Amino acid sequence: MNLLAALTDIFKEVFDDDEIRITADTTSDDIDAWDSFSHANLIVTIEERLGIRFEMQELLSFRNVGDLMRCIEGKSGRPSQIL
Amino acid sequence: MIVNGQYNIGHICTTLQCERGLGEKTAMRWIAPAEDPVAYSFRDLDSQSNRFANVLASLGAGRGDILFIFLPKCPPLFLAFLGALKRQLVCGTLFANFGEDAIRDRLGDSRAALVLTKRSLLKKIERIRSQLPHLRRILLVDVEEDLCADVLSFPALMRGASSSFSTPRTSPRTPSVLHYTSGSTGKPKGVLHVHESLSMMAATCREVMGLGAQDVFWCTADQGWVTGTSYGIMGPWSLGVTQVHYGGKYDPRRWYEIIEKEKVSVWYSAPTALRMLMREESPLAAGCDLSSLKRIFSVGEPLNPEVIRWAKRELKKDIFDTWFQTETGAIMIANRPGTEIRPGSMGRAVGGIEPAILSDQGDPIPDGAPGNLCLRTGFASMFETYLNNPGTYRQKFVGEFYFTGDTAIRDADGYFWFKGRSDDVINTAGHLLSPFEIESTLLEMEEIAESAVIGAPDGTLFEKVVAFVLLHPQYLPSRELEVRIRLHVANRLSPIATPQELMFVDRVPKNNSGKIMRRVLKARYLGADEGDLSTLEDG
Repeated sequence: MNLLAALTDIFKEVFDDDEIRITADTTSDDIDAWDSFSHANLIVTIEERLGIRFEMQELLSFRNVGDLMRCIEGKSGRPSQIL
Repeated sequence: MIVNGQYNIGHICTTLQCERGLGEKTAMRWIAPAEDPVAYSFRDLDSQSNRFANVLASLGAGRGDILFIFLPKCPPLFLAFLGALKRQLVCGTLFANFGEDAIRDRLGDSRAALVLTKRSLLKKIERIRSQLPHLRRILLVDVEEDLCADVLSFPALMRGASSSFSTPRTSPRTPSVLHYTSGSTGKPKGVLHVHESLSMMAATCREVMGLGAQDVFWCTADQGWVTGTSYGIMGPWSLGVTQVHYGGKYDPRRWYEIIEKEKVSVWYSAPTALRMLMREESPLAAGCDLSSLKRIFSVGEPLNPEVIRWAKRELKKDIFDTWFQTETGAIMIANRPGTEIRPGSMGRAVGGIEPAILSDQGDPIPDGAPGNLCLRTGFASMFETYLNNPGTYRQKFVGEFYFTGDTAIRDADGYFWFKGRSDDVINTAGHLLSPFEIESTLLEMEEIAESAVIGAPDGTLFEKVVAFVLLHPQYLPSRELEVRIRLHVANRLSPIATPQELMFVDRVPKNNSGKIMRRVLKARYLGADEGDLSTLEDG
């Protein structure tokens, strides 16, 4: 499974919506339920599912899904790796 | 404001403004995240809300029927709200991030006949539809054709409806708006307001916020919240004031841009949002020109003094804290321009409101001592009842006074100082949460045998949700389970109700009657004295 597919599954679970489709350009404005509270749930779930930890500065830098993916890839050292 | 005995809020906010000669004035500057702003005049609001009133008539919905709007901020929300009031329906609003348990409790208790929502939220209603026998129709704002006989296209219905509607004369005590609020026990309660309540909203817009014809007003509250309807729809429009509404999420730079570009002059927000802005780059350092901004007001939680000092330093403005609650419908106590701000205080009573600090028995408590914050009844925006719950309604009164559930101190100069809640209700980012509801939702998970929830102080949210869970013996605590618990609460109730801290415990303290002793848990969590433990089960 590539990273985008893995994140899509996490987004579906966090936002309780099987129809969610995300791209690198997706922002919180594209998903009704993506507010600051559900963002915290999203981050916690990504950390647990992908076995990573985000730094506070990283969390503040995410403007869209693409930023999130680049940060995750930076931690794993491989672009869009199989997870 | 009241002409020929017409108290109808929808009429006053639209038709009356056109009759006053404001038809072409901008009523709303709608700002979608990635689009150019769209202006709606008062005539647009009038004709579009008329269309929706006619849509409701064509669907056989009328006086006393309940419509819920389950949408994020978007133009149809405002048009439908006003149109429903014109048709004398009762209009309720729901946060768009509510989960299916929260939706079911509200639609079910109110016996709502109609829901206005969007396609992406429809599935949440469909999952519980069989438990909502009174729900007749669902209207979707983002489909062009009906999906089936009772899931209809809002745009198609609006296209086919006349823009002419004569609002029936509406008496002051006609039910108008319904908001659900949480208590420390039981399910959420439906707080029912009446059309007369508008006079208090209008009065406080004028006298507290100083709103006038030239102002551009921005209330950032979601319309699921009483502030979002009282001050994000009704109060300002009843005075013909232009409002800005933004459909995007919290984004500091974007917020400052909106103030600058839309020349917002009066801004109404919440302490949590202001505390989040404090952590960001200074607007002046970021090159934002906020010179249009004359006044800032805050509501929802106590405003801490450091926020007031930050605003003075970075925004060059005072922030005036205001206090009210769902039941009171409009601002009751406020700091306001022209009077001394006492940082950390709620301010003083607004005109016509008589707060008092009373004992549990209703006896006056001297200035400087804490007690129950109460309000003498008789003001226009006082709620009519808790829907289908007259017993709980009656319990909120002692003599002529309404007990708010907050505790406070009044000083010798008449300033009120919030001390806390007299019950276990949690105030997180201005949202009142019921520990009982969250505990019940936790118990839905097969791993959890017992649960208890408290509110604990938090630097950003005012209070955070802390949950204590006891697992059945065959399950072990894990990070994976913790994540699933968080998501379960978020998706069944609301992300706002998500426990910010989760503790796996081997016992939940209860009294001899089996009641959870949340005060003991809270004392343990805070490292404080646990107090009297004589009734603690096996204590």
